[in-house]
Amino acid sequence: MAVGSFFTSFDLSAFINALILGISIASIWLIAALGLTIIYGAVGVINMAHGEFIMLGAYSSYMLQSFLGLPFLLCVPASFLIVVAVGLILERGLIRYLYKRPLDTLLATFGVSLVLMQGVRLIFGSDPKYLAVPPIFSSNIQFAFVNISVFRVVVLLVTIAVVVALWALFYRTRFGVQVRAVMQDKEMAASFGVNADRVYMLTFALGAGLAGLAGSLFGVLNIVLPTMGAAYVVQAFLVVVVGGGTLAGSVAAGGATGELQSIFAYFTNDTFARFVLFVMIVVFLRIRPQGLFAPSAKRR
Amino acid sequence: MLLSMDRVTSYYGKTPILKDFSFGVEEGKCLCVLGRNGVGKTTLMRTIMGLTDRSVGEITIEGQDIASSPTHLRARLGIGYVPQGRGILSEFTVRENILLGTFARHDGRPEIPEVCLQMFPYLKANLDRRAGLLSGGQKQQLAIARGLAVDPKILLLDEPTEGIQPNIVHEIGETLLTLNRKLGITLLLTEQHIRVARRLGDAFLMVDNGRVVASGPMAELTDDVIHKYLTI
Repeated sequence: MAVGSFFTSFDLSAFINALILGISIASIWLIAALGLTIIYGAVGVINMAHGEFIMLGAYSSYMLQSFLGLPFLLCVPASFLIVVAVGLILERGLIRYLYKRPLDTLLATFGVSLVLMQGVRLIFGSDPKYLAVPPIFSSNIQFAFVNISVFRVVVLLVTIAVVVALWALFYRTRFGVQVRAVMQDKEMAASFGVNADRVYMLTFALGAGLAGLAGSLFGVLNIVLPTMGAAYVVQAFLVVVVGGGTLAGSVAAGGATGELQSIFAYFTNDTFARFVLFVMIVVFLRIRPQGLFAPSAKRR
Repeated sequence: MLLSMDRVTSYYGKTPILKDFSFGVEEGKCLCVLGRNGVGKTTLMRTIMGLTDRSVGEITIEGQDIASSPTHLRARLGIGYVPQGRGILSEFTVRENILLGTFARHDGRPEIPEVCLQMFPYLKANLDRRAGLLSGGQKQQLAIARGLAVDPKILLLDEPTEGIQPNIVHEIGETLLTLNRKLGITLLLTEQHIRVARRLGDAFLMVDNGRVVASGPMAELTDDVIHKYLTI
């Protein structure tokens, strides 16, 4: 594409729409990454099953909706709780035995991801499922030349609410002090009465639940499939790696990558934009491998 | 005995570092653990806290065997730990570091005890400063304040004067004296400065190669013993 054509084809209103879409993309990538961030940042486990937790969240909502007739707005918190339970079982039954062997947690969670994906495929089949939402969610907001779907606004608001809630949890509660203490120095935390084992368990379950919550939203944005997790997990990992595994880092990284993706896509197309973004991230990580806001943790 | 060990052997991996180790501290007393570098003094502290890979033998606090308890439950029995290198959480503020100690309080009160601030006016004036920015001596004060926040029956102090400028060494010695004599907190400390040890300690424990080689009231710490086990 010639450089000149960028400017001849530049259309301010379309560009502003792209910026707004960028915010939406950022919120989707961020909420996909929050659970991963917490599990990686606080527990130190790289959870390869994160995408499948997202998928489980979507299927939880699907089940609750089609079998119990639960309204969508209740499906979202319910999916959170269901995947919290899954995370809890997984942490108690498997992950906790592997904390001292990080490489094995990688393999184990990858194995879990395959089991979950195939398990769901066995039960529900490979055909896509759909989540129904109240009609207002499937409409669009039109404001001057700005045009965005209501559901994308809902996702953005949920993301903001979850980020604020997480910030309050980590920085304004006794539990948050315990989590951050364990993150910095597990031995010292334990030496002052903090039950690190319990902190890991609860944090892992919380991270899983957040993936489930994201999944129940993604099930509306997209179709529900056993393999749907893969579509989000790459972005989620990018956000965590660029951000450095902290909450603030993920918010910044999610915002920056989502917005850049949308801007590049405006000038070229989605695929090329993603290519440029990945190249930029590789270059960024070459310069700053620890990510944007990395904690100086020494951990176990 | 407030805290005692009975024939404890403690391991890192498969290597025993502490061997057949027995001692006791009486309530309200101060026991100084002496010995050259690398003889197992820090391992002794870590064994009491349950931070070594494995230990066998009996460790009791107020008669209760804690040898198989996890670290956080041991702390909650009233052990305040001031580790070697101080173990300050550098991302935390001074306040958060002290509050960390309160998780081990038996009454669970989430506030900074007044005594921590009275003893260390510098900390009181800098509660919201990031702990990573403090100097070595200030970090040591913070580590002691955090140990006090546990409302401990016993403080374990691992080389509290290590790497601290000489004029502050005396100050920290005086602080520990106050804690022990005025507040009645039992102390178990490892110490390189014989002068500080003599002034503080009621009794001593000389360690060499992971074993107790001499022990007794401080008056029995003769120059011969010091010469034999401490001089290089």
